[in-house]
Amino acid sequence: MVKIRLRRMGQKKAPFYRIVVSDARSPRDGRFIEEIGTYDPTKDPSVYNVDAEAAKKWLANGAQPTETVARIFKAAGIEK
Amino acid sequence: MSESAVKESVIEGRARKAYLYDFYGELLNEHQRQVYSDFVFNDMSLGEIAEDEGISRQGVSDLIKRCDAKLENYESRLHLVDKFMKIKSDVEKIHKSAEILKASEDLCKNAEILKNIVGIEEISNQIIEEL
Repeated sequence: MVKIRLRRMGQKKAPFYRIVVSDARSPRDGRFIEEIGTYDPTKDPSVYNVDAEAAKKWLANGAQPTETVARIFKAAGIEK
Repeated sequence: MSESAVKESVIEGRARKAYLYDFYGELLNEHQRQVYSDFVFNDMSLGEIAEDEGISRQGVSDLIKRCDAKLENYESRLHLVDKFMKIKSDVEKIHKSAEILKASEDLCKNAEILKNIVGIEEISNQIIEEL
């Protein structure tokens, strides 16, 4: 199964996340299929960037977003 | 790419967890660190972590709550995250002010003033990077 999740990047004390599409079995090894956005919680309010076209394509192909990613998608107005 | 802001509490909560972990994570034991960072940084679900660790989903959920409480407890005593945020935002303001002054032609005619403004800018940059 393919999942869409956040992956933390950035230095210590400067959290920054990428929204990545990756195989469900490799959440930790850093490999991902495609990066479709970013999420920066250090800004107030936090800022996200999503490639809506790519997100819709992956959702249509059955990729499962995590709860957090689903919320970002919802805020970005992206639905299946 | 569309750029916008999110104000969902779950997401904001994740950022707070990330900061708490960065400051106090070393005080968790190795198992707690593993589970907590899988949840907060790798965005794994409770079910996925449970399967990996060979414990129940409920066990993972309890462990994360215990870690949250532990980290919040350190913060309530030490306030390192709060202080960090305050200093960061203040130094960013100083940096912004220096930038504005640097953009003023009147001030920059005076080499001594300009040198000092650049100095303030450099030092504030350095503080932000080293915080």
